[in-house]
Amino acid sequence: MILKGSRVAALGLLLLAGCAARPVIVHRLPDATPAADQATALERAHRLMAAEQAARERAREQPPASAPVVTPEEAPSLHTYDPFGRLNRFDYRFNARFDRMVFLPVTHAYQRLPGPIQSGVHNFFANLTEIDSMVNYTLQGRLGRGVRSVGRFVVNSTLGIGGLLDVAAKLALPSRPTGFGTTLAQWGMHPSAYLVIPFYGPSTVREGIGLAGDYGLLYAVNPLDLYQGNASWGLGAANAVDQRAHVPFSYYSTGSPFEYEMIRFLYMRKLLIQDSALHPTPPTSPERPAGE
Amino acid sequence: MKCVLAALLLAAIASMSRAQSLETAVAPAASGSLTGLADSAVPGSPTGLADSAALRATVFGPAPEALAPVPQRVPLLELEVRVPWRRPLPPIVWFDARLRAWLSPQPGPAPLVVVIAGTGGSGNSSQAGTLRAVLYGAGYHVLTLPSPTFPGFIAAASRTGVAGDLAQDGRDLYDAIAEILAHLPRGMQVTDLDVIGYSLGGANAAFVKAIDARAGRLHVHRAVLINPPVSLFDSVLRLDELFALALGPGDAGVERFYRRLYAALANLYRASDRVSLDEDFLLGAAASVLKTDREFEASIALSFRIDLVNMFFLGDLYTKAGVVIDPRHPPKVGDSLEQIGIELRSKPFSAYLEQIYLPYYLKARPGSTVSSLRAANRLSIIGTALAQGADYYAQTNRDDLILDAEELAWLEHTFGPRIAVYDHGGHLGNLGERRQVGDLLDMLAGRWHGGGN
Repeated sequence: MILKGSRVAALGLLLLAGCAARPVIVHRLPDATPAADQATALERAHRLMAAEQAARERAREQPPASAPVVTPEEAPSLHTYDPFGRLNRFDYRFNARFDRMVFLPVTHAYQRLPGPIQSGVHNFFANLTEIDSMVNYTLQGRLGRGVRSVGRFVVNSTLGIGGLLDVAAKLALPSRPTGFGTTLAQWGMHPSAYLVIPFYGPSTVREGIGLAGDYGLLYAVNPLDLYQGNASWGLGAANAVDQRAHVPFSYYSTGSPFEYEMIRFLYMRKLLIQDSALHPTPPTSPERPAGE
Repeated sequence: MKCVLAALLLAAIASMSRAQSLETAVAPAASGSLTGLADSAVPGSPTGLADSAALRATVFGPAPEALAPVPQRVPLLELEVRVPWRRPLPPIVWFDARLRAWLSPQPGPAPLVVVIAGTGGSGNSSQAGTLRAVLYGAGYHVLTLPSPTFPGFIAAASRTGVAGDLAQDGRDLYDAIAEILAHLPRGMQVTDLDVIGYSLGGANAAFVKAIDARAGRLHVHRAVLINPPVSLFDSVLRLDELFALALGPGDAGVERFYRRLYAALANLYRASDRVSLDEDFLLGAAASVLKTDREFEASIALSFRIDLVNMFFLGDLYTKAGVVIDPRHPPKVGDSLEQIGIELRSKPFSAYLEQIYLPYYLKARPGSTVSSLRAANRLSIIGTALAQGADYYAQTNRDDLILDAEELAWLEHTFGPRIAVYDHGGHLGNLGERRQVGDLLDMLAGRWHGGGN
């Protein structure tokens, strides 16, 4: 058995060595879809224009009173709290290598499957997470949104053939997922330190706890025995690949030695902005300059 | 798409964290000016020929309605190229061991167009993607390459580690293209070879063709320069002025701009009904956040400054100049680069020229002077070829911010009937529009006979 393992390892090393010596390595990526991208951009532009027009009309009819706002002085500093920096950087490099060698090749193969299969897989997993959203919206005290998640789950599980189709979105019930991390934020927990989670990516201590909570909930509910049954590993892997396929990011595509810092900054500011919207009345700074 | 990038870039410039005081930030740019570059005035305004509309076009790009038709699907291969002349790779950039290029091959024999990205751009940038789509749709094989100022190119394929020299970058690019062509996927048949580039990549494309005229290895047929600079030094010094004008010198302006941007985004997000800050939101937000000319200028200046941070870091690392990196103790894999990033963020192009570029090239080219190097980085150094070679074409805009009136006149005079000059578009703000693409395809096919206004 050991001999067999070492043969496999030797073969792997030979393959890697062969790769390293080749002057040009070719990776086949999923086809680019420029026409669809252009159509999406056009549709988005029209939607944004309509939204802007609607906002202008709303503002005319009902001018915003003295709504509390975030002022530049209240913006978090440029510094990001990163006490696990060395470990995080190690994890970032590990994730980049894993992504390049394992995750992306599998994801690219998945992306070559026919569109309806991909959307079916995506909708199926998205439908399961509605269970998590229902519970967390309830914990957040946002019952209306919780009811929406229930509605989406019922409609998609039945009319949507077990969640393969997102019928609810067509019935003006678009997806609004939430999770335990957001619940903790709603309860007032700060994101805490930046954390790069192996195999997963950028997160924070709070979001890491949230992630464990989300998975723990689905594990406990165990719909259709999917999370505790024999197929759970396979399903987990399929879910991960589907999620990866929806993240248009490639490690070190910036080529920059500062990429870790850039991603950390962007991730944390995005999270802080999302957090700031959960609390209705942040303090208004008395130093707020006129005209801001 | 461009505005998302702009918003992200604005945020990313601040990624190297913690603000530096104005006093310390200003000092490196103002002191130690051995060559006088930092103080040398460049002709015209810091925004060149750009007006308000041009600034907006530069940041937002063309309206989706104006875009040229593109194909449904474009095959895409990522090539990782190990060039034989690469210098020893510093461990801190271990991920840049190979040059990354993108190839879209046609199923049958076809001419190949090599696309060279602009300053700091990857071969898979949004502009490169736009050009790839329209060229593939017109029946070309397409190979998109990063700019020689892209950190991945500097580490993987530069012979010097000091980016920004048109002749040297041209040679590195030329050999990299030759290396890739020698290892194209089996069965791919190339009937002809053209080179195009946008922004700085346009100047690089011209040099690649000029080098080929002597070396003759690639047989480059046509070259098209899209919104090229005329003088590298003047253009980047103008960008320094733009940065100082829009943000103030040093880092304090960056901090101010970041805080304003953050607050605006947070307030817009609070007012929205969203559960996550996604691309859709950023696209809508960018139009609300950036309003004044000064803000557009700031976003343009910042995005160039991000590119400079990478170039400066690698130049310092390779030349052991000791500006921000201790040559005896260079950063190791896993070390934080935060402090170095903070220092570099406040350094303008003039500091790069004075502290990295000029010391290196004055030594590497005995007998050269600051003036001669400045002249060597003008398109006019290959002006005769550009003027007399029937296969050089150019496209530019009357309101391009990297040009002044004299430079635009030089381009028009030099290219004569082989340049299309559009009234509007700023810098690359009309890349991908029907008219620009139609003219580009006509130029590549050798059937363009004027028509720009």
